[in-house]
Amino acid sequence: MESHWLSMFDVTIDFDQSHLFFPRIVTTILVGLLLVIVVTRFRMIAPAIKRAGRVLVGSEGAFDHKRFFGTLALTTAYFYLMGVLSDVFPNTGYSFLIMSVIFVFLLSLLYVDHLTRRLFVILVLNALIAPALAWYVLAELFRITLP
Amino acid sequence: MDILSHLTPMFFGLIAAGTLIGIIFGAIPGMTATMAVAVCLPLTYAFGLENGIALLLGLYVGGISGGMVPAVLINIPGTPSSITTTFDGYPMAKRGEGERALKIGIVASVFGGLFSAAVLFFFAPVLADFAIKFSYVEKFLIILLALTVIASLCSNMLMGIFSGVLGVWLSLIGTYSITEGGNGEPRLMFDFMQYYLVDGFSLLPVLIGLFGLTTVLLDAEKGFKDDAVQGKISLKGGAKFRFNVFKGQLLNLVRSSGIGTLIGILPGVGGSAASVLAYSQEKNFSRDSSQMGKGAPQGIVSSESSNNALTGGALVPLLSLGIPGDSTTAILIGAFTLQGIQVGPLFIGNNLDTWYLMMIALVAANVLMFGIMYFAIRHIAKVIEVPKFILYPLIIMMCVVGAYAINYGIMFDVWTLLIFGVFGWVAHKVGLETVPLIIGFILGKSAEVYFVKSIESYGNLTIFFTKSPIAAFLWVLIAVSVAFAIYLRVRNRRRPEEIES
Amino acid sequence: MKPIWGKTCLALVVSAAMGVGVSAQAADDCPLPGNLRVVIGSTSTGGDTYQVSSMVVDQLADKLDINAKVDAVGVMPGFQALQRSRHGNTIMIFHDGAYLGNLYGVNGYPNIFDQYVVGPTIAINPGNAYLVPKGSPYESMSDVIEAAGNGKQIRVAIQPGSVSEIGFSALKNAVRLKYPGKESNIVAVNTGSQADKNQLLFDGAVDMINGSVQANEQYTQLPADDQKAMRFVWLTAREDTIQQTNESGMGDTTREQLLGYTTPNVSVPMDDSQDFTFDKEFFFLYNKDMDPAAIDCIDNALSDIYDQGEIQEQLKKAFFVPDFKPSKEASSYLKEKNDQNQTIINDLEG
Repeated sequence: MESHWLSMFDVTIDFDQSHLFFPRIVTTILVGLLLVIVVTRFRMIAPAIKRAGRVLVGSEGAFDHKRFFGTLALTTAYFYLMGVLSDVFPNTGYSFLIMSVIFVFLLSLLYVDHLTRRLFVILVLNALIAPALAWYVLAELFRITLP
Repeated sequence: MDILSHLTPMFFGLIAAGTLIGIIFGAIPGMTATMAVAVCLPLTYAFGLENGIALLLGLYVGGISGGMVPAVLINIPGTPSSITTTFDGYPMAKRGEGERALKIGIVASVFGGLFSAAVLFFFAPVLADFAIKFSYVEKFLIILLALTVIASLCSNMLMGIFSGVLGVWLSLIGTYSITEGGNGEPRLMFDFMQYYLVDGFSLLPVLIGLFGLTTVLLDAEKGFKDDAVQGKISLKGGAKFRFNVFKGQLLNLVRSSGIGTLIGILPGVGGSAASVLAYSQEKNFSRDSSQMGKGAPQGIVSSESSNNALTGGALVPLLSLGIPGDSTTAILIGAFTLQGIQVGPLFIGNNLDTWYLMMIALVAANVLMFGIMYFAIRHIAKVIEVPKFILYPLIIMMCVVGAYAINYGIMFDVWTLLIFGVFGWVAHKVGLETVPLIIGFILGKSAEVYFVKSIESYGNLTIFFTKSPIAAFLWVLIAVSVAFAIYLRVRNRRRPEEIES
Repeated sequence: MKPIWGKTCLALVVSAAMGVGVSAQAADDCPLPGNLRVVIGSTSTGGDTYQVSSMVVDQLADKLDINAKVDAVGVMPGFQALQRSRHGNTIMIFHDGAYLGNLYGVNGYPNIFDQYVVGPTIAINPGNAYLVPKGSPYESMSDVIEAAGNGKQIRVAIQPGSVSEIGFSALKNAVRLKYPGKESNIVAVNTGSQADKNQLLFDGAVDMINGSVQANEQYTQLPADDQKAMRFVWLTAREDTIQQTNESGMGDTTREQLLGYTTPNVSVPMDDSQDFTFDKEFFFLYNKDMDPAAIDCIDNALSDIYDQGEIQEQLKKAFFVPDFKPSKEASSYLKEKNDQNQTIINDLEG
């Protein structure tokens, strides 16, 4: 009798389909939780989306568009161009070096508030020295593969 | 006699060099202990076994310890296992107690490291026999236990659990890898993604994306005005470090170190879970956990002692079963095989000299780590005073290096960084919690393998309860862990001042 | 501490600088880049693929005066990197798993003979082994085949779709030959790392595991009452291959004893006339568009290296068997090996 009862919990997994077994369970739980969240917070969602839209467009809140989207754009360009350039200089890390110098300089420029001449020199030196140092130590001394 | 002849200045010099380089690797966001060991592995050819191992153990201990530095100072965990250090370390740093927080972390680290070294030395073979009592079923339950801590770590129960499950879900994207016994079939993605996502998202880029890049984006959005308003975070003000902060922490130290060691001993459970488990147990069981998450020394103590205790623990299965306990010891095993040394159940008996030398190296690495960090920390802590417009571009650059190098040169890992950086920013806005998410992500893959393989082997769900006394005991722990989380939440809700932001 | 670190640094700097300095000159008769990237089909830097690769690649870089670095990127990223690199900046080293994955129909595995150029073989790992618990009733592979023929189920822990599975397929095939229809009694328990396979044996969840001489030899030396004690029943390598290992063998197991687990002392029939054997071989893979001159150049350099004999010592010390075949020879040899294994796998499916 007891073994019959236990066999209710029998589960067999077909190896060819085993890659879907666990993901299905997790997806089900995830969707379930999402529904609970939507139901319990239903009233908060619509206003929140509206507010988010207004913030992004810039009509409300302290949202620094220039710096936020600038960061995103620079980072995307940095990653993309690094990949492209690494085909030009394969296996040397030069691509990383060149792109990092440019990226570090531009991003610093984007973030800095009151640019003075002295600060500008510091930024240039930082953008030249830091990536060069990182490249030299990592790619040359430690032989880490860089783009 | 033979041992003494190996204890040369070179031997200790290499330990010191290793520890120092390890600390630097650990302290740079994006670089990890694993990477430090991997990078220096080829050097061990030249040094011979004993000296090579000395170097690598130094790197291992240093790398794990160094991870606390960015965790405390800039809220970015330097290694996956120092996530929980950010919880209390960064709030302390914001109060001007960065140096104090780091010193607490260093003392806790050296305790954890030496604790686990002692456990390794005295109990390695016994513990190895204990470790093989953990089959798929028990390992799944350990992971389940680690997942339940999400309930006590999140600020909103529903969103926290959702984030955790989402983390698990994200970790499953990719193929069910044949190297883990899967069938190599893709799931949870469209065909065109398969080229990039064969091996799914890697942990390190996800981690540094979620913590590093997201932090940069959040500050960029505010236009770095915060600094101007609140004044830069400084190193002055706030309490100074005194050893009496450890008064009453002995239980915490021992418990956390014990948890760290145990997780290290169990291969495949995921070393990063150690500090998370230790932290949540401290939160559940300490007499007063009300300040945890707001800059309580006890949080740093539990996090750092447990992640350093991992080192000795992970060496147990390596040296007594020939099986690595975590990703770093998986590389250490290469150092032995490159030198033609077999690791397995007879290793210690057959190589007594090497074994003693390793223990000496491990203890020396911990002591040197303490020495180097304790006295250098004042200078390291100055990082916090570097203006963000200098620091952030460099952090992104180093994150790129880390992401690209972790799998030995894969460009998609760099894009993962960006994807999860943006995702982290969005998550922040919609109220998802990154810490439960990353815990879910870390544990998701092993949870799947152990869960599916348990069922494949036994074909019945009841096996999870009836497999062994260890399994039953783990269920008790899981129940207690969940009950405590709920109890603490209910208790806190009664106090109006406890409302979380 | 400083002076030693300084010395280490200095050595590194010098070697790095030398590498950069001469990188351009190698191009004379050898169209190889000054910085060669060698990807391998394994993500482990502690595994056999990395070991063999780093030994051979180090010598190759010395010989050709170039920088070369082994990157443990894994199978799919390795194939992808190779695919992208038309100018020979990236080459790959992998073992038989490269084509076995395709034969077993594992998702994403290309036909390497069509899509890449198969380069020289460099070494054999003779350690591919099958083990049973020390107290197991199965004394030999014949016992296992008989038991399966008599309706007994035998569970074998393997990692699916690669070298780990091929011996299992051969065993299944042997049962099919002798007791047609009974091969389903040989059951695969698919798992991952060696640790997981060992654990299944300790749990009693399987009767036999795939393992290796290197990783499992010490377990065979444990007393029988130890839960962890194991016993070799089969090494898949050829007798010739094992003959070439050092006489001392591995750990406390001598070469003589290892030969006892090898064909013809152990018999897993492949067809009426011969026994199945399998050497796990490591070889180079090139991009389809790689300059033939560069391929020749690597062939020649390797040939010189193997003539000098230092690499043999190095490989043997780490329990590998040196096995150099230049590209042309290696390519047709591996194709033949591929076809032979295809027959076994197809027969089992059909």
